[in-house]
Amino acid sequence: MIQEFKKIWKPYLIGLLWLLGLLWPLLGIHPDGTLSFARTFTVWLYIATGISICAVIYLLNKSDALGPVTAPIGNARKALGAFGKTVPTWVWLLALLVVALIYPQVTNRYAQDVAVNVLIYICLGLGLNIVVGLAGMLDLGYIAFYGVGAYSYALLNTHFGISFWATLPIAALLACIAGCIIGYPTLRMRGDYLAIVTLGFGEIVRIILNNWMSVTNGPNGILGVKAPSIFWPSFAEGFSFELLYLKKLHYLYYIALGLAIITIISVRNLNYSRIGRAWESIREDETAAELMGVNTFLLKLLAYAMGALFAGLAGAFFCARMRFVSPESFTFLESAMVLSMVVLGGMGSIPGIMLGAAALIVLPEVFREFETYRMLAFGLAMIVMMLFRPAGLIPAKRVGTRSEEKEG
Amino acid sequence: MDYFIQQFINGITLGGLYALIALGYTMVYGVIQLINFAHGEFFAAGGYVGVIVLSYLTGLGLLETHPVLCLTASFALTMAYCAFLAVGVEKVAYKPLRKQSRLAALLSALGMSIFLSNGLMLTQGVYDKAYPSELFQGMIQVGGITISYLQIMILCMTGVLLVCLNTLVFKTKIGMAMRATAQDKIMSSLVSISSNRIISLTFAIGAGLAAAAGIMVGLYYGSVRYDMGFLPGIKAFAAAVLGGIGNITGAMLGGLIIGMVEVFGAGYISGEYKDVFAFIILIAVLYFKPTGIMGENIDDTRV
Amino acid sequence: MKRKLSTILVLSLVLVPLMMGGAVAKTLKIGSMSPLTGPYASDGTDIKNGVLTAIEVFEEQGGIPGYDKIELFAQDTACDPKQAVAAANKLINLEVAGVVGAYCSSSTIPSSEALSEEDIPMLTPASTHQDVTDRGLPYMFRLCGRDDDQAPAAAKFIKEALGAKTMFVVDDKTTYSQGLADGVVKAAKELGIQVLDHEHVNQGDKDFAAVLTKAKATNADVFYMSLQGYSPAALMTLQASRIGMKSQIVTQDAVFQPKYMEVAKDASEGVFLTYGYTDPNTPEYKAFEERYVPKYGAIAAYATYAYDAATVLLNAIKAAGSTDPAKIKAELMKMDVQGVAKQIKFNEKGDSGSAYIAFKVEGGKFVPYWDPEKGMLK
Repeated sequence: MIQEFKKIWKPYLIGLLWLLGLLWPLLGIHPDGTLSFARTFTVWLYIATGISICAVIYLLNKSDALGPVTAPIGNARKALGAFGKTVPTWVWLLALLVVALIYPQVTNRYAQDVAVNVLIYICLGLGLNIVVGLAGMLDLGYIAFYGVGAYSYALLNTHFGISFWATLPIAALLACIAGCIIGYPTLRMRGDYLAIVTLGFGEIVRIILNNWMSVTNGPNGILGVKAPSIFWPSFAEGFSFELLYLKKLHYLYYIALGLAIITIISVRNLNYSRIGRAWESIREDETAAELMGVNTFLLKLLAYAMGALFAGLAGAFFCARMRFVSPESFTFLESAMVLSMVVLGGMGSIPGIMLGAAALIVLPEVFREFETYRMLAFGLAMIVMMLFRPAGLIPAKRVGTRSEEKEG
Repeated sequence: MDYFIQQFINGITLGGLYALIALGYTMVYGVIQLINFAHGEFFAAGGYVGVIVLSYLTGLGLLETHPVLCLTASFALTMAYCAFLAVGVEKVAYKPLRKQSRLAALLSALGMSIFLSNGLMLTQGVYDKAYPSELFQGMIQVGGITISYLQIMILCMTGVLLVCLNTLVFKTKIGMAMRATAQDKIMSSLVSISSNRIISLTFAIGAGLAAAAGIMVGLYYGSVRYDMGFLPGIKAFAAAVLGGIGNITGAMLGGLIIGMVEVFGAGYISGEYKDVFAFIILIAVLYFKPTGIMGENIDDTRV
Repeated sequence: MKRKLSTILVLSLVLVPLMMGGAVAKTLKIGSMSPLTGPYASDGTDIKNGVLTAIEVFEEQGGIPGYDKIELFAQDTACDPKQAVAAANKLINLEVAGVVGAYCSSSTIPSSEALSEEDIPMLTPASTHQDVTDRGLPYMFRLCGRDDDQAPAAAKFIKEALGAKTMFVVDDKTTYSQGLADGVVKAAKELGIQVLDHEHVNQGDKDFAAVLTKAKATNADVFYMSLQGYSPAALMTLQASRIGMKSQIVTQDAVFQPKYMEVAKDASEGVFLTYGYTDPNTPEYKAFEERYVPKYGAIAAYATYAYDAATVLLNAIKAAGSTDPAKIKAELMKMDVQGVAKQIKFNEKGDSGSAYIAFKVEGGKFVPYWDPEKGMLK
């Protein structure tokens, strides 16, 4: 403890003074030509106390001084872990599924709403994982495919009355095509060049959605999209089927759950298939992969198409759930959010990305109590999580460096 | 013709501002291969500190009596402030991640960007802050063309800063050390260049330039706002990549091109699609030259 | 081990808020929804402050019998439809009696669908798009005016008061600003004003030099700018004066915010804007001013409407004697009161009417200038 402290007290104090120096001009210089120190100092004192408490806990933990407190928890966790290993994986999965199935029965509306968002973002995160995590291509415009899916359903439904279920494959296909169109010109690019081009495509799609009045209705968005419907047996007048719109949130939750499960299973199978291994070989070393007979051109395009497919599905569902779609939902920040889920969860790791999606959707909701401090806390949480777990919350087992990391 | 020249002047002013911001991106990228998403926030912080210092000086009544002195002082203070901010950000959010995957640092940068812009919002309020307007009012009329003193000031300032930067990077020992670190960190540390110090210095210089751009934007547009860093940040990033990321001349060129394309796109074709034009030019250039206009070949075709 | 710890931490972060909820007795809960972060945070904060002021005043006047306290749950929508729906669902869970919000029409529309499923009254102080009330939701009310009322008033003003023959229109592509600009173009054409061009800029732009140079070249009599919020409007006004544009600038109600003059300074002098008629001489306005200004600063466009929305909602709950939505609605429909911003009487759609007049910026203040019925006001 003391030794640890000796090591860090200097940078720690400098850091705090640095912070004071940065805060003062923002809070202490007034336009009427006066200077003040009281407010800056109070704010700084709050922050410094907070940081100090965290630092002390961190140091105590590092020097095992918290042993009496953490040891029982650690032991219990170990015991639980040992018990967990004796139970086969499928039991855990089944338990998880049961929890997911009964979730809407025991929770309220708001919790369901958040859960539906989490499920949508799990689909998006896993889709992006194919492009970023498996094939190793940095994509900053992924949300465009989500937009394509959402607008496909909105337009097909409002103009032609096509139902949600029939639109799902169409939306997925259209998103796939969009993926190929965007993927094709970018195949020669690497790393950050790819990143900015995909970002550019994402923005182009959003601007077109916002400006093409005759088709997308521009910023007004498309209203009056129907909720998903099913034929439900009715016994009112003899036996017949009637069309039932699934507007209630818990129905939508089950649809989202279904989509998420389909996505998880497909991505898992892709991951362990020959195609998945080929993608990983491209990520590790494109030239070597090509030498070994991997058709890199086709496979990279396929990665884009497959990634876009899941975004298209998620987009169609998003639109059906909101029953409204407008371009504001497809900004660059959303792309960055999905990318954050993938990186935060652990690239290439399915449970990791699920956890990442849950964390990044739920955190801002937790911080809702902070009102205006909400996004500040969120940004800070992102930095802290990255600092403590740079490889992701649950890193994937098979990890190598991404090809572009070796350059530079 | 008047119309064309007028739009040309508009374009070059905007392009100069983009170029100044793009330089920070490109320098940081050159040294540690990080897309510093928080860079746009340094620019916004520069705008805010500039307005704080200038209003303070106005409050003291100094701005009326010594305008040049005040302006110089505010530029110097703001650039210093942002340099300190950038070094702090680098030490807290990027340095611990230097050995990790580049995406981890990218995410940390994104978090930093959200944190800083909201920090600005909380300390400075949600409303726009107006710049003292007495500076550089008025314009020159040549035929049908109007050039405001502010535009001239921006162009001159940008030019001076670019020349200074070029001298620093290509003519001095520090610049040589920076270039050496960018090329090979291990080798440069063998010849006793402290890479930590050079990286901090790069961040400081890049943020200083962004801060200068921040004040100029504040003076030119009359006000600053806490979320002003985001959009120019993205445009400048595009400019840096267009020019070939890591290349200083390329970033200047890229900034000017993006500014020009935007202004001419809006002036001659359509205002709402101007960003589309900028990105299409970017995509087209990168399609034919995948490493940007001035970029070296980082493809693995190099032997 | 460390990994597991963080897993558990995240899991608990996920689960704990999901389990929260439940009610505290004897507190009347009302909600507000507005962008407290993001680009429209300033307008969103005005709305929140207006509602807070209303609650304060209402509690001082005795509150509602049977409730100790009125609590406001201010939710952030960030002007993002997804977050707006989440905020609405959060308010539903909190069992609020009514909601004041939201700001962006694109947030109000989907979130009102969610609120209407649970029959929670929603009163928007700022969403002017037609579809907000035209969808026929029973519990949707609007305190501000409608775009399709403002546009004809603006066109009439440009034609009759300014005598303009040509105009150049610019908007920034939001539901609100574009809808209004389209309406103005249509109404102007009907009145025989020649619309030389209708240009668009993007949200978040700061540099309007290209578009303004274009507008200057057309030499139109009137330059109509329809922008979401005072901030881009101030920038555009300032830049227009810098390039020496001679057209008369006319703008709309989102610019009704004293910060506009603070930023645009001298350039804003002589600018016209249409805004719902607010009589600053009513005792209601004076009382509001006395309370609001010392605490939150100058009165902005949406603070008064938000104050009125919260006040009529609380009064309706008081008169209904319960939080039963049908009774609240009945009371709301009965209401015919003088608010801070205007006379409030809801029609069957939930609109409360709009009386747009033209204001002129004079000496750093918005001065009533022209009324569609009465003509010049001076």
